[in-house]
Amino acid sequence: MHLSFGGIKALQGVNFEAKAGEITGVIGPNGAGKTSLFNAISGFYRPDRGSVAFDGEDITTLSPDKRAGLGLARTFQNIALFRGMTVLDNIKLGGHTRLKTNVWQALRYFGAAQKAELELRREIEEQVIDFLEIDHIRKYPITMLPYGLQKRVELGRALAMRPRVLLLDEPVAGMNREETADMARFILDVQEQFGTTILLVEHDMHMVMDICSRIVVLNFGQQIASGTPEEVSNNPAVIEAYLGAAA
Amino acid sequence: MINANLKSSYAADERVLNNRYKQAFVYGSILALVLFTLFGNDYLILIASQMGILLIAVVGINILTGYTGLVSLGHGAFVAIGAYAVTIFGNLGAGVIPAGLMPFVSVPLAVALAAAVGVLVGLPSLRVKGLYLAVATLAANFIVIFLIEEDLFAPWTGGMVGLNTNVPNLLGWELDTKREMFGLIAVVGLVSLLAAQNLIRTRVGRAFIAIRDRDYSAEILGISLLRYKLMSFALSAAYCGLAGALFAYFYARILPEQFELALSLNLVAALIIGGMGRTMGPVFGVIIVVMVPEVIKVLFGALAGDSAGAGQLRAPLQQIAFGVLLVLFLLKEPLGINQIVDRILRAANRWPFARG
Amino acid sequence: MGQFVQFAINGLMAGAIYALIAVGIVSVYKATKVVNFAHGYLIMFGAYFYFTFAVIVPAQPWAPAWLASWQPGWMVEMRGDLPMFSPVAAVLDWVANLPRILLGLAGALVCNAILGRVIERVLMRPLMGQSIFAMIMVTVGLISILSGAAQLIWTADAASVPYIAPNMPIRFELFGTMIFLFGTDLVNMAVALLLFGGIVAFVKFTKGGIAIRATAEDQSTAYSMGISVPKVFSRAWVLASTTGAIAGAILATRNGISPSLGLFGFSVLAIVLMGGLDSYVGVLIAAMVVGVLEAMTQWQMGGGWAEIVPYVTVLVVLIWRPHGLMGQKEVERI
Repeated sequence: MHLSFGGIKALQGVNFEAKAGEITGVIGPNGAGKTSLFNAISGFYRPDRGSVAFDGEDITTLSPDKRAGLGLARTFQNIALFRGMTVLDNIKLGGHTRLKTNVWQALRYFGAAQKAELELRREIEEQVIDFLEIDHIRKYPITMLPYGLQKRVELGRALAMRPRVLLLDEPVAGMNREETADMARFILDVQEQFGTTILLVEHDMHMVMDICSRIVVLNFGQQIASGTPEEVSNNPAVIEAYLGAAA
Repeated sequence: MINANLKSSYAADERVLNNRYKQAFVYGSILALVLFTLFGNDYLILIASQMGILLIAVVGINILTGYTGLVSLGHGAFVAIGAYAVTIFGNLGAGVIPAGLMPFVSVPLAVALAAAVGVLVGLPSLRVKGLYLAVATLAANFIVIFLIEEDLFAPWTGGMVGLNTNVPNLLGWELDTKREMFGLIAVVGLVSLLAAQNLIRTRVGRAFIAIRDRDYSAEILGISLLRYKLMSFALSAAYCGLAGALFAYFYARILPEQFELALSLNLVAALIIGGMGRTMGPVFGVIIVVMVPEVIKVLFGALAGDSAGAGQLRAPLQQIAFGVLLVLFLLKEPLGINQIVDRILRAANRWPFARG
Repeated sequence: MGQFVQFAINGLMAGAIYALIAVGIVSVYKATKVVNFAHGYLIMFGAYFYFTFAVIVPAQPWAPAWLASWQPGWMVEMRGDLPMFSPVAAVLDWVANLPRILLGLAGALVCNAILGRVIERVLMRPLMGQSIFAMIMVTVGLISILSGAAQLIWTADAASVPYIAPNMPIRFELFGTMIFLFGTDLVNMAVALLLFGGIVAFVKFTKGGIAIRATAEDQSTAYSMGISVPKVFSRAWVLASTTGAIAGAILATRNGISPSLGLFGFSVLAIVLMGGLDSYVGVLIAAMVVGVLEAMTQWQMGGGWAEIVPYVTVLVVLIWRPHGLMGQKEVERI
């Protein structure tokens, strides 16, 4: 696809396919267009030329909330949690598309809405909160959490959507070795247990090379390489633009 | 002092009244209300009725501004629509629908009309951000009031002179005393407060808060901004319309000047003073907004006697006091009285231990 | 055709005044990102100050007689043998009023400037850096305070004030029909447009103006560049209140003194939003358009309907162009 803002060509001729059930990495120097790519896939930007397809269907004209309904989830580079709520409420919002409560049921609460809420609560506790080991903080307001835990909560919120495709925008940015290893483990678990297709934007090369089965490299909005981690790390164009030669 | 509040089931954990003190407070308040309705003195019943009507409207504003983060400076228009609609429908259907059933027809109709206009007014909110929305709602307020006052429609609306209102008749029981009306207002008020709290416990309320905090993040979770913003407008307009309907039933006559800009600003001020985005906020806010002018009236009467000159000074003084109150809260305690109450309760909870 | 031109010109003259009122709102917004919802009441205070210094003070027993009406010998002579409504008579009447007009304007300017300074220091300064919502709601509270204070000080009675310029009738032909104007309206329009242009030039070309624009873009960067942000805020508010004083005086000569002057603030708010909050040009265009539309509505549908013209127009424009005619679209970095 092609995407530009005014005079800035954010993406030029980026074209790749993320295979179902695999982890695909998107790397490149800052300003390469990785987040713009994600924003286009999420539906915030409409590409000037080209299209976005989900499981064979063209979704280029769908709004972001409809794409979520199809099973597309995403985390953000700068953490987009809702600061007015607790961890639990944030994660419950992940279940929004799967609940069917309408306004009248909501106003009444007792009855259909309550049942749906309790079911959601149970499911989230067992499948997301236990899975990500955040049960000790589930009642805390977001503002009280350290950065690393916030990122994990955001992952949990995305997981609560039971997504088929998960876009992770720098999930381990700013984390130390331990936290990164934890997060990588969680991501791998998600792929194994739920069979989710994962797209990953990251700068941490160790992690990317470790867990991704395919990698796409962007530079100045253009796609300069794509392939397995071995292929990409040996690609001279990639080495020059981003990786640097091995010392 | 509460040491720990541990529950053994998710259902228990999800309850709102999750400890004995909260339960005592709520049930006790309901009991107090019932006793007050039966035995309270007439003047206090009047004041409490004013509070009740205003409360319903402010709860509506809380849904829109407190929970969804959309600012409206014109919701007084929906109160007006509710009041006039219920009266006009009552007059139109006088021969057709038996008096005992009339409120059950005209009130829902009036509320629905208010909600529909609410959706119309809310349409700009989809494309414009906070500031623009505030002015757009302001504009809508002026337009609605103008239409009510305009001579062209006077045969239905009474124009500048106003309309006489009907007495509600619930299946034969005529509520022709203020006390009986207060009973109705209290019940409706409680139910609407409860309904608003219920919203927050479901995905609808959460979606509102999500839109307030970070709308693109809400979209990514599948929340259609269009649908939910309009829903928020419709709900808040409906609440205001309901308050308007009760207002019309309570007072013998309604005039367009009762619903002007000042009302809209009062609603928002009550919300801010009481505490935005929390269930009890509107309650605190309404108590203050009704009590302060009353207190000034009493003080003034005591100090200045009954001269006409004093009367002229009283209204502007009330205005100034109101503005000063709002500004003070914004400067010193932007989260409202609710925050102050929270602090007190936390300190009480910790007692006898000191802070920290 | 003739009527149309007459009303169109009336509309343009009204539009000029709206533009002058709007310049205060836009300037405060440009400098502080706050929309002053109480600007109409600042204007009202300006009008009341003009009234105080031009009518109340000269009427006091301790004020010199020439303040109330300056009638030197030569004037009485000239006036003596002139017919009632001749242009020269109108000019002479105006000259007789000149001392109190000048005193009124000066008093209004100074008092309103002080008022603006006080408001900024007491109400806006403490909120610096906090949410825009809080600052806007403070201006909403200010509405009540100013409105009540004015009623308290001056009571709600209506009154009239001396015209700023000679009230001569002017007749001329345009497009084949007679146009009828008052000199005072023309001067009002000229003053309004001149002031408007002056403010725009100030903001665009002087150091103070650049400081205002820098602070609007990014407060912390402006600070680190050595710009005194509090001073910029203060200056913006004083600018708004002084232009407001002149606008108030002009409005008062046109509509008389009454508490309803404050309501102009809201219709001008609608105009400002239509023009795009931070664009002087857009606001000028919007003001003229609304002025003319109001006049047209008054012509075709009577005075009452003209009241809601700005509000209907703003809603229509917002649906079509959500950021006003020439506003800047804010891009949020996701």
